[in-house]
Amino acid sequence: MTLTEIFLTFAKIGITGFGGGMAIVALTERICVREKEWITAEEFLHGLAFGQILGPFSLNVCTFTGHHLRGIRGGIIAAIGFILPSFLLMSLLSWIYFAYHKLPRLQAALMGTNPVIIGLILVVAIDMGRKQIKGPNGILLALAAFGATVFLKLNAAWVLLAAAAWSLGVSVYHRRHT
Amino acid sequence: MPALLTLAWIYFRIGLIFVGGGYVLIPLLNHIMVEQYRWLTLRQFLDGLALSQLTPGPLAMLATFTGFRAGGFLGGLVATVFIFIPCVVLMLIIGRNYHRLKNIDLIRTTLDGLLPAVVGLVAAAAWNLGASSLTGVKEFIILGIGFAVFKWTRVSPMIVILGAGLMGLLIN
Repeated sequence: MTLTEIFLTFAKIGITGFGGGMAIVALTERICVREKEWITAEEFLHGLAFGQILGPFSLNVCTFTGHHLRGIRGGIIAAIGFILPSFLLMSLLSWIYFAYHKLPRLQAALMGTNPVIIGLILVVAIDMGRKQIKGPNGILLALAAFGATVFLKLNAAWVLLAAAAWSLGVSVYHRRHT
Repeated sequence: MPALLTLAWIYFRIGLIFVGGGYVLIPLLNHIMVEQYRWLTLRQFLDGLALSQLTPGPLAMLATFTGFRAGGFLGGLVATVFIFIPCVVLMLIIGRNYHRLKNIDLIRTTLDGLLPAVVGLVAAAAWNLGASSLTGVKEFIILGIGFAVFKWTRVSPMIVILGAGLMGLLIN
């Protein structure tokens, strides 16, 4: 795995990463887990869990995957590759905005991409769920996390920390009883 | 130069707080940029927020916009680099220790037990995005086509997303 390949792959993800955090994560999963098989599904999800607790998780997942491939340098190159296209585009649009006080009419493009991105996230969630959700315990935990986020509007980082505490409790319980 | 150093310090601190969860970013940036330093008007801040939602990449690219206003291209660069330094460093530290930690039995079972919750969060993101953007039958049809393409074909997701964006521009 060359650093150039890491850079180019994450730059491509950066260019097509419309729709915010989880859309980018779903795109990264398709490319790094399914297409290139750079990282296993479990490792990727662990990275996502850490990444969600630590803020901007789309970037964090890229850093994590890059580090997995080529250590510190791989992680930094992946992060730069991912942010660079957005940064250049954003600089250009900021310049246009402050010079001419105009916002580009891109809203219409989002009307096309948003439904497709929801489809992408759904496919990734289903593929992940089939592999990772086993037994009534797993189903309950997945539903609880979903409900806490959608209906109770809880912060994802808190939901994950609570799930981690629960999971730790279950692990300790199983140890004592086997 | 001192102005750039000030910018670096401001965004680095935002990056540190941001690490606790991305949701504080917007109110925090608004407070610092609009109320404290008065680099932007509220209107400009909101336009910048709209821009970062329209463009690819994380919402935190708002840092580029606000930094650009405060110090031009270099200001945007400094803001972007420094807001992301804390989380990149922390993720690298986690990545470095990940395999060692995973060999500890209790940590591995805890991490694996956590995965269904992560999947639940991914599904929740689809739900939330759908609640705000699936407004009519047309959107549901596009969603269905997208789902089928991603599920049963090997077409690159990037091409599908860019194609959908172009279609959106042409139709609307």
